[in-house]
Amino acid sequence: MTQLPMIIQRLSESFILNGKLFALTLLFSIPLGLIVALGSMSRYKFVQGPVRTFVWIIRGTPLMLQLIIIFFGPGLLDLPFSWPGGDTGRFTAATVAFVINYACYFSEIFRGGIQSIPSGQYEAGQVLGMTKPQIFLKVTLLQVIKRIMPPSGNEVITLVKDTSLARIISNKEIIMMAGEYTNQGLIWPLFATGIYFLVFVGILTLLFARIEKKLDFFKA
Amino acid sequence: MSILEVIQLEKRFGGLEVLQGIDFSLNQGESLAIIGSSGSGKTTLLRCLNFLERPDKGRIIVNGQVIFDADDPSTQREGEVRKKRLHFGLVFQSFNLFPQYTALQNVVLAPKLLAKELPDFTKNKQSYFNEIEAHGRTLLDQVGLTDKLGAYPHMLSGGQQQRVAIARALALEPDILCFDEPTSALDPELTGEVLKVIRALANRNTTMVIVTHEMDFARSVADRVIFMDEGVIVEQGTPEEVFGNPKEERTRQFLARYKESN
Repeated sequence: MTQLPMIIQRLSESFILNGKLFALTLLFSIPLGLIVALGSMSRYKFVQGPVRTFVWIIRGTPLMLQLIIIFFGPGLLDLPFSWPGGDTGRFTAATVAFVINYACYFSEIFRGGIQSIPSGQYEAGQVLGMTKPQIFLKVTLLQVIKRIMPPSGNEVITLVKDTSLARIISNKEIIMMAGEYTNQGLIWPLFATGIYFLVFVGILTLLFARIEKKLDFFKA
Repeated sequence: MSILEVIQLEKRFGGLEVLQGIDFSLNQGESLAIIGSSGSGKTTLLRCLNFLERPDKGRIIVNGQVIFDADDPSTQREGEVRKKRLHFGLVFQSFNLFPQYTALQNVVLAPKLLAKELPDFTKNKQSYFNEIEAHGRTLLDQVGLTDKLGAYPHMLSGGQQQRVAIARALALEPDILCFDEPTSALDPELTGEVLKVIRALANRNTTMVIVTHEMDFARSVADRVIFMDEGVIVEQGTPEEVFGNPKEERTRQFLARYKESN
């Protein structure tokens, strides 16, 4: 039991990696997801086709496998590119894999949201002389945001827990840390990791509820 | 002189000829009612006037200026279409108010965006916006919604929403105001308040094109009536001519069917 404070401290420190991966993934996958969504809605088949195929591949294969391919791929295929050595390289590779994976999931949420806006909203903007960017920014965007909040909340919560997959390329995140104790015959640190995820998800759930409430002033 | 001239307008969707050579003109201050059964092309005609559909053939002339010519691509460039569609206002069957804006915000949004394009906007921003807001209030007052300026669309009844939509279309001061079955989506007890607003506009000599199923309303408000069937204008004339003494068999049949169902 004398180990308790030390174990808690090491679990907490390792959870920072989960948090960093979470934050960076959100930061980059949301804008990238919007670009992918626009590509998958493009009226040009030579844009839409490849983009949709890419989304199919990323959503159709395990994230764990994508982590392995992105981390080991460049070396195995003798590409002129390689990840930096050590922890930096592992973390960067994990971030890239997560960003690509989540951008594809977000893109489908965005596409659904954008396509669910009735055409009458665009037409009303058009006959009032608005430009396409004005219609997007002033008329449809907030309606899209309102509609995609619930599915996005789902996705964000999944991301919190998915960050632990980064251990597959030896990122020392919280479950990997707890696993080291398990190997020494101490099982409770692994159970304790659940509390970290639960608290983090709890905070996010409250945050999303607040945003949804903020957007409650109109119906769309 | 006529404010609007439509010449040999044709529109097809795939193999379906929705408009097969439409010709008509409209004088300043007149209101024109377009009647006909569903699928006769009335709504498509209105959408062509508002550049929501691109006609395959024909010309549209407003105030003597050719604003659309199917044979002249220079009249179809997107940037210009945007300016040219401002000759027309359109009130939709399903209102299409912007849900995240209040009644007043719905009315003033487009005028404010347009004001931003004026060369002296940055200098006179506040006075432009004040002017636009005052105009918006006046318009909502005209349609009887003085006490609903701050209401969001979902807080309004269908009839109130449609009246906001009319004020919104009027805010840009179009030469010709178009209505696409403005009362078809309303409960029967709410159509009266919308028709009353349109009637008041007609009394003030607003130039209007009204696609409608309300025959009594068309008869009493319109200066001229067009009866369409299967993509052609079957008959046009004054309300007395078309309703009181229709020359064409198809018009007689349509009006008889309408009477039966009411």
